[in-house]
Amino acid sequence: MQAAYLAVIYLFCLGLYCVVTEKNLIKIAMGFVIMEAGVLLFLVCLASFPDGVPPIVLEGVTSSSMVDPIPHALSLTAIVIGAGTTGYMLSLIIRLYRQAGTVRIDRMGRTEQ
Amino acid sequence: MTLGKTATLAFLVILAVLLFSAMGALPETTDRMEAGGPTWHILRSAVPDTGAVNLVTAVLFDYRAFDTLGEATVIFTAVAGVVLVFAREAMVLSGKGLSPLAKKSMDILTPFIALLGFYVILFGHISPGGGFQGGVILASWAILVVLIYGIRTEEDVLTGFVKMFLESAGALLFVALGAVALIGGREFLSNLAAGFSPGDVGSVISAGSIPLLNVAIGLKVASGLAMMFVTMSKKDGDS
Amino acid sequence: MIETTVVYILLALLVISGTAAVFFRRVINSVISLSVFSVTLAAVFLVYRAPDVAMAEAVVGAGLMTALFLVTISRTQGGDH
Repeated sequence: MQAAYLAVIYLFCLGLYCVVTEKNLIKIAMGFVIMEAGVLLFLVCLASFPDGVPPIVLEGVTSSSMVDPIPHALSLTAIVIGAGTTGYMLSLIIRLYRQAGTVRIDRMGRTEQ
Repeated sequence: MTLGKTATLAFLVILAVLLFSAMGALPETTDRMEAGGPTWHILRSAVPDTGAVNLVTAVLFDYRAFDTLGEATVIFTAVAGVVLVFAREAMVLSGKGLSPLAKKSMDILTPFIALLGFYVILFGHISPGGGFQGGVILASWAILVVLIYGIRTEEDVLTGFVKMFLESAGALLFVALGAVALIGGREFLSNLAAGFSPGDVGSVISAGSIPLLNVAIGLKVASGLAMMFVTMSKKDGDS
Repeated sequence: MIETTVVYILLALLVISGTAAVFFRRVINSVISLSVFSVTLAAVFLVYRAPDVAMAEAVVGAGLMTALFLVTISRTQGGDH
């Protein structure tokens, strides 16, 4: 379990590093996706414990051995919302490319002059 | 390495150390699920409360159904934003589609992808799956059809009216199902309390309004995401 | 303890593919790496007993998100300039 939390911290910091330092707008969108993945992994790790079973009621499964379903519902909605917002982000990038002729923010001012 | 990157790395190291020290203070999962908490309540009484066997679906479409309606609104807003950004574009990307070979093999494959999508939506309350996952499967099916058969097919089959209908039907169905409860004087979106039949627990027709809400969300997600992809892949008409 | 080993391997793959997605020079390579990342993340969710979340992540991350990124790259002529 501890290893998963380390991966969560690493992924969040990796995504943040990508968002802050990258010059390419598509890469920045990827940074957001990676940060989001870190948060989702955190939620799912928070819900699970050793020897838990999936939260589906079947015969012979006691309710105390099931993992927590609430973080699962939360991360499920977050995934689909993430797809929607990423799509919007990418459509804005395409629009910006048409205006400026580049997706790199360090070259954006020069091409228009 | 520039100064900016060094500063960023230093900041991230500090952030990582802070996050790591905070991880130690997290409560144990088994402690959080002690008697009296929301998880404890859901794990014990979800089946009599909602009739759904899959507890994640029970949380999404019964206990927290109002949040799910809010999420449908977020997807609607994102799609509306994408369509607005590409408002003036009419020309098509690939009119005719791929080779006859690809079309023939897709003829065999597409029905099964659609079948999987409908299965995942309809069995959401008794097995892993539900409106969100099935909706995305249906959206990727629509994307495949557009890619293989060409975007002109999409414009022939899906006229503006059909798109508007599909896009609105999901959200409207969700709100209408929620409003049924208001007639009996119950809370918005209440399920079994509003008189929906619990059915035979564990079978397809059970859990009251949950399968219907799943279908509504599936329609909404599928039409929204597919429309987002199609709008983004159109060529610019004015430049 | 086969399961612990599986978790360690998957987490290592997750970290490697995520790092690769950030540090690849060409954007198209990053997109493919991000797709691998999403599938690995779905496998991790499955191991942590979240089949619903795993299904959503597999479909969204590997299918839809990759398609959206590829459309963006083709609409911006490679996405590198």
